[in-house]
Amino acid sequence: MPSRAKWTQQRTQPCPPNPDRDVISPDPGSFRDPASRVVIDGERIVRLLDERGLEGWRALAGTDFFESAVSEGRLIAAEEIDPPPGSAGALEHPRLPLISYPYEWTYSMLKDAALLQLDLLEGALNAGLTIKDSTPYNIQFVEGRPVFIDIGSFEAYRQGEPWIGYRQFTRQFLFPLMMRAWVGVPFQPWLRGDLEGLTPAQMARILGGKKRFNSGALLHVRLQARMEARMSGRAVREDLRTAGFTPELILANVRKLRALVTSLDWEHGKDGWSDYGSCDHVSRDRDAKSEFLRSAIGRVGPDRVLDLGANDGHFSTIAAEAGAQAIALDSDEAVLDDLYQRSAGLSLSVVLTDLGNPSPAQGWAGMERSGIIERAWPDLVIAYGLIHHLIYAASIPPREVLRWLRGFGTPVVVEFVSPADEMVAKLVGNKLPHELHGGREEGEFRALLGDFFEIRSERKLQSDTRVLFDLDPR
Amino acid sequence: MIFGYLDAGSGSLLLQALIGGLAGIGVAYKAMRMKYGRRGRVEPDAVEGEVDTAEDTALSTES
Repeated sequence: MPSRAKWTQQRTQPCPPNPDRDVISPDPGSFRDPASRVVIDGERIVRLLDERGLEGWRALAGTDFFESAVSEGRLIAAEEIDPPPGSAGALEHPRLPLISYPYEWTYSMLKDAALLQLDLLEGALNAGLTIKDSTPYNIQFVEGRPVFIDIGSFEAYRQGEPWIGYRQFTRQFLFPLMMRAWVGVPFQPWLRGDLEGLTPAQMARILGGKKRFNSGALLHVRLQARMEARMSGRAVREDLRTAGFTPELILANVRKLRALVTSLDWEHGKDGWSDYGSCDHVSRDRDAKSEFLRSAIGRVGPDRVLDLGANDGHFSTIAAEAGAQAIALDSDEAVLDDLYQRSAGLSLSVVLTDLGNPSPAQGWAGMERSGIIERAWPDLVIAYGLIHHLIYAASIPPREVLRWLRGFGTPVVVEFVSPADEMVAKLVGNKLPHELHGGREEGEFRALLGDFFEIRSERKLQSDTRVLFDLDPR
Repeated sequence: MIFGYLDAGSGSLLLQALIGGLAGIGVAYKAMRMKYGRRGRVEPDAVEGEVDTAEDTALSTES
């Protein structure tokens, strides 16, 4: 059993597994529920429970519902271990390949997570349990499927209790999905800006047109907004219990919400970079780039590969099929949504973020949710078809792009695109040559490369305007 | 004893009963009568004018 000193309460940033770490650190994102907190013990993920948390766990662990949900991959596995001093109980969970946040998910990911939340609540109620909150932060994605990870959210259902997480479900699942499906506005910037999601009053203002009169909108948006305003500060929980509230009322609500969520659909068509795969240079160079990547993977032997600007995930999939955990990162929701729907069974994580402004560390004390780059900790980085976008579209100086790539501290596979390339002409648009940064020509770029990397191998592509580099950090 | 780290929102809790159908409307009516007495109408002091529809009727539980 670890010493009390090891179970320090000092909070630190999330970090890669490290069996040599001598300090057990609370997960900075797990502190709101006093009954259950996650700590990181080197490579182990441990949940510490107080008396009430232990009571909830025991109620859950004894049900067929728990066993079937775990075996179906809908609920994270948990094994009871000896608790450290100061805790009534402790559970150990398997480590997840990547923690991602709802503002980094595509539409289908949030929708699948919402349906999982409702299915688990229904299953829990039928087993005499409830789920005390309803936040998508309790759900993660493993091999293209949502998995509920917060075992501490389950507790025995107390007769007469309403669904405490209903409001949170609407704010963090339902309204963001409505915003995308009905209004056509992406929910991710809002969820990134306000971690609590949209309030009913905000959603009521956002919804326009005929959708305002949809029965789901009238109930969950407009009526909830109205009742929130009217009932503010007036406790009703005990009154509902005394008045005879039953779990059947929650189940009826869950069924209606499931039908509503299922009916929400986002038709993204061929937006943004959805057609990228049909570009001449992509189809022409794809085989050569795949072969070059396989060679780099063979040389490095990575456990984790970060694919920056992953687009349709072709190269992430190569890494996953080679046995690595691939993280496919892109800013185009449509292509990533398609990739997510094809990723079942693959060790591939989809992350939606703009590399010109990647997800930052934020939340309580600026640490509750960590930045995406901190969470990735790759062994190999792929930067195919990326850096010319950063240089020409985002106006990042080539030296700064290379300094940033060097910051990963890992080998990098880079595709250099010369100013003569057809795609660069499109990206430059109306910018004049003197308005662009230096270091764009191949000779200049090679000189910059030498400041940060050693070239292990290189290959000129058929177009003659693109060169692949397999690089080791200096 | 009731525990809870999450603020469920009173209006949202009451709404759940209304969504539950006829039985739920009865529960909501009883809860409101316990809270506010026989007339059951919520005082308008907390209204912020957020939504301007005729949905007040759903809150009126007068018999």
